[in-house]
Amino acid sequence: MAGMLGQGFVVSLQIFVFTLVGSLPLGMLVAFARMSKFKPLALLARAYISIMRGTPLMLQMFAIYFMPYYVFGISLTTDSKWYATIVAFIINYAAYFAEIYRSGIQSIPRGQYEAAEILGYSPAQTFLRIVLPQVVKRILPSVTNEVITLVKDTSLAFSIGVIEMFTVAKQLVASQVSMVPFVIAAVFYWVANFVIDVAAGRIEKRLDYYHD
Amino acid sequence: MSDSVSAASAPAAAPAAPVVAVDHAKKCFGDIEVLRDISLAVNPGEVVAIIGPSGGGKSTLLRCMTLLETLDAGDLSYGDLAVCRDGSYGDKRVLADARSRFGLVFQNYNLFPHFSVLRNVMDAPICVQKRDRAEVESQARALLAKMGLTGNEEKVPCQLSGGQQQRASIARALAMNPRIVFFDEPTSALDPELTAEVLKVIKGLAAEDMTMVIVTHEMSFAREVADRIVFMDGGVIVEQGPARELIDNPREERTRAFLAQRGA
Repeated sequence: MAGMLGQGFVVSLQIFVFTLVGSLPLGMLVAFARMSKFKPLALLARAYISIMRGTPLMLQMFAIYFMPYYVFGISLTTDSKWYATIVAFIINYAAYFAEIYRSGIQSIPRGQYEAAEILGYSPAQTFLRIVLPQVVKRILPSVTNEVITLVKDTSLAFSIGVIEMFTVAKQLVASQVSMVPFVIAAVFYWVANFVIDVAAGRIEKRLDYYHD
Repeated sequence: MSDSVSAASAPAAAPAAPVVAVDHAKKCFGDIEVLRDISLAVNPGEVVAIIGPSGGGKSTLLRCMTLLETLDAGDLSYGDLAVCRDGSYGDKRVLADARSRFGLVFQNYNLFPHFSVLRNVMDAPICVQKRDRAEVESQARALLAKMGLTGNEEKVPCQLSGGQQQRASIARALAMNPRIVFFDEPTSALDPELTAEVLKVIKGLAAEDMTMVIVTHEMSFAREVADRIVFMDGGVIVEQGPARELIDNPREERTRAFLAQRGA
């Protein structure tokens, strides 16, 4: 039983990793778009964030899953569920990360940019050397929060029929007429988040060499 | 130049071009004219103090000269480099060239909090000027020693006092080998005893003929260290002249009132 759950857990873990790998950088692009001086782009990013945060992730998964069929008439396969899940998770989480990045970037005092400008740093150097390292420290707690939520949100893939850990747990509960699979699944989620918590704590401590 | 400048205040006929010059500079924020027809040239080795009441345009003038703000009208040049002609600025390369010629020390230091003191001083020379690391490091250590910061190289700014942070930021500005250093109220965020240590290092730079423009509220410091004092109010240069002369014997009523209020 634990073995089956373990296999499901691997799928959950894949959703988790793919989502982070996609949404952490995409969020940065969305954040830049949202802060762009080019109004139409900023507005577009705002609308994107509003829709992604304002509607359920589960619904977004269904929308993305069915869209190829209804818009392009492409027939759906079992793989489509998997792709729809990953795409939905990435674009959903990118919206949340974008807002975290934006708050972090905008919290850096104007004087830091001015000092960098006076010293002749290019805009890219200013961002990468001066701003970003300070932003990382400031947003780490909020990012950790999102990452922990993501671990649990992977269970939403159950609704679209991806065989991840929660789907397996539910099947086991039904077939064995026992709540134990749910308990084990809960332990898996909790342990995963415990590891994330400890890792985030270590990074926070390493960045604690200065405050401002 | 304002007609109130006495003949004696004309800088000793130096053939060298001014390090920085603004001519008929104008700057508005919305409806408010912050700078109205300002002309000011700073010669090599000269120390100019800018004094005057808050809102008089001192900081705006400094910010325009350091390209943090743009002039609406007038000229700005660094030596032979014309940065701004009649309110229109040169291209990126011109601005970068201009920036390489001056340094600015901020009121609230603006050190990079995530860098060590040493890296604050070394980073821009290495990363912007592409200079050799070893050469930059020995210069940075020497500058920090000169600023009385030996032993603090590996600390981060938040571990230093305000006075130490300001001295580190002066070292950071000097490490770029600027032809002129601007100071924007360098001691306004400091306690009196910390003020003294910062003023001391600025005096030391003046003694080495560093060209400097200092916006300050420290009248006795300005009188002692500056070659020339410029009194600004209402967006104009009301009066300027040799430091002692202006402080001890101001010609204009507005200058007198300001100095009396300051107890100078």
